[in-house]
Amino acid sequence: MTAGSAKALALPLAVLAAFELGARATHLQSDSLAPPSDIVMALFGAFADLSILAATRDTLFSAFAGLAIGTIIGLAFGIAFGISDTLNRLMEVTVEAIRPIPSIALLPIALIALGFGYRMEIVIVAFACVWPILILSRAAVRSIEPRLMEVARALRLPPAQRVWKIIIPAALPRIFVAFRLSAGIALIVAVTVEIAINPLGLGAGIMLAQQALRPDLMLAYLVWIGAIGYALNVLLVVAQNRLFGRAAVSGDGR
Amino acid sequence: MASAAKRLDAVPGTPAPQISFDAVTLQLGGKAIIENLSLGVRAGEFLCIVGASGCGKTTALRLAAGLYQPTGGKVNFDGQPMREPRREIAIVFQDYGKALLPWRTAAGNVSLALEAAGMTSAERPARIEELLRTVGLPGHAGKYPSEMSGGMQQRLQIARCLAQEPKTLLMDEPFGALDAMTRQGLQDEVLSLVAASGATVIFVTHDLDEAIYLGDRVIGLLPHPGRIGIELAVNLPRPRDQLSTREHPEFLRLRRQLFDFIKATEQ
Amino acid sequence: MNRGAILWRVASFAVAAGFIGLWQLIANLKLVSPVFLPGPDRAWASLVRGFSSGDLWSKLAGTLEHMAYGWLLASIAGIAIGAIIGSSRTMRTYVAPSLEFLRPLPVSAIIPVAIAMLGLTQAMALFVISFGAIWPIMLATIHGFAAVEPRLYEVARSLQMSRLAVILKIALPSASPDILAGMRLSLTVALILSVVCEILAGLDGLGHWVLLSARAFRSADLFAGVILLGVTGYVTSVAMSLAEHKLLAWQAAQH
Repeated sequence: MTAGSAKALALPLAVLAAFELGARATHLQSDSLAPPSDIVMALFGAFADLSILAATRDTLFSAFAGLAIGTIIGLAFGIAFGISDTLNRLMEVTVEAIRPIPSIALLPIALIALGFGYRMEIVIVAFACVWPILILSRAAVRSIEPRLMEVARALRLPPAQRVWKIIIPAALPRIFVAFRLSAGIALIVAVTVEIAINPLGLGAGIMLAQQALRPDLMLAYLVWIGAIGYALNVLLVVAQNRLFGRAAVSGDGR
Repeated sequence: MASAAKRLDAVPGTPAPQISFDAVTLQLGGKAIIENLSLGVRAGEFLCIVGASGCGKTTALRLAAGLYQPTGGKVNFDGQPMREPRREIAIVFQDYGKALLPWRTAAGNVSLALEAAGMTSAERPARIEELLRTVGLPGHAGKYPSEMSGGMQQRLQIARCLAQEPKTLLMDEPFGALDAMTRQGLQDEVLSLVAASGATVIFVTHDLDEAIYLGDRVIGLLPHPGRIGIELAVNLPRPRDQLSTREHPEFLRLRRQLFDFIKATEQ
Repeated sequence: MNRGAILWRVASFAVAAGFIGLWQLIANLKLVSPVFLPGPDRAWASLVRGFSSGDLWSKLAGTLEHMAYGWLLASIAGIAIGAIIGSSRTMRTYVAPSLEFLRPLPVSAIIPVAIAMLGLTQAMALFVISFGAIWPIMLATIHGFAAVEPRLYEVARSLQMSRLAVILKIALPSASPDILAGMRLSLTVALILSVVCEILAGLDGLGHWVLLSARAFRSADLFAGVILLGVTGYVTSVAMSLAEHKLLAWQAAQH
């Protein structure tokens, strides 16, 4: 272990140890807190009866389905707006009118239209994912080296091939950055919808644990949700570096 | 050439130096940047330090400013050891773009030094206006540094340093990034400002002509580790003049001597 | 704005009006059941009714209040904690990795914990909203403080400025572009969490209102509430842009 990672781990380990000792010493009886060892046991228990795995599957299914739909829609509009300045200017007011609606506000509409279940969750996640993808892919297409577009014109590529062979590959590194951001948003929105209303997945699991007055299980869910969020982020960052190297990172801030 | 170092402030009857380096050594990461450097600067003197790049001339200046602490020897100011930077020693950095606050106007940047000195807000505006006028920036009080040319930004940094009412002014290649015309104008302004305030100056530059033109004394450093290689007294009449001073036989003689020294260190 | 830009803007509004017309047409032809989709006319009528009776005003005020308190608390705490961590190298090495680890955590997962501790109360909402909104601000502040030009610290040292003066006059203004960007992000987070908390805890506000409207199948009221939430998101974000523009005028001068 390097000195740097030891220092990074020092604080969380100290907090956990202090919490454990404090809880043991005071024989903690609480509806909201539990010593770390109990949380670990509860997490093992939830793995053993597969309940947390089923919940993880449900949440990730909704999140990824919504992410996929949102990405396709966002990408289609983003690329179209990036290519055609006319279209972009004409749609500006419409886009700016819909975009600020907080995704979670659509929850009641989706609820009465689709009822509880995967579908309403997927729709809300998709809505939330469309915007970052649209905005960033539009910017990515606009920043494509003009020479490349001239090459496409000189080769007399038909529009579909121009998009497929020139525009998407050229803009891909930055589109992937948008995808990475949206994947994080997808997980957050999915869990939020489940916590707020939808009786499935990790969000519902953590709410049930709270209502059952099982702080150990509730915090186990919290730790697990955090771990999934962290793992997803790490996975996508690694994928981004593998696939695009520094190219994607340099496009991050623009 | 090494004998030159022994003459240091050995003139009898001169008062104690304002700044003195006493066998100063600075090691960074096990490597000696400066070794056994001894030197004294009289109050009101204009000392120029030249040398090839990497000879430690900027480091010597930072030691004088108190931004670095020596690992051996002592740096004294008015007979007291320098433990930390002090307001009566102002430093003009070469990279004016980084040393000014971009979110403050010209007036605001000058004000920073006055605020640090505890001047009340009622007294500040008049003083700021006076200082900006002194450095030739009247009417630019409301401009942000980014709206000013390089020369104007460096004038502004000088104004902030003058606001400290320094006994000593340390200048680290202040005109290195400026074009030749701007540089000559600023050289003359610095000379007249210094003459008016009576401040002591240590001026680091890689421009030999500039060093001779400005200084009462020029020190050339040898690199790896930095130590004194040559010391020249500049006996040219003041006020100096861009044309006649630079054509003066003494100027040309010193220039030749300094040039030969630098050439020798590079081999 | 030149004439061309104005014309484009007009055209763009015309397109948006076209979409609203299309929406009206779909509603009139009952292509979608009116139970789910009211026409824009009915949504507008509901807005007018709601505001003239004062009902919507109080809901809007409730949501704005939740959002504003949580966001302000998050801003103050986030800047203060971020400044403490960001201005000390030791703190950065020990604390920053833990914060980076916590960052991807879906903040809404803290809601059950907050409910367990504080119940379905205003205090719970305030805690959740500020907890969610603090992250972007705190991390931006840490980053901004860590990125202050070292030369400026040297200027501060040679002016013998006090530690407090260095933070207030050098570090904080230097980090302000980062901090304001973080505060802008947090504004969105605060609005979303306000709605979620209102839904969950039944607190007075637009989130609760849209949920009740949905349960009673009053689709016109539901859409009115959603539109109002969109307007809230838009107006707060525009206000934040204006504030940023004003506070960072010195940056516009650069480039």
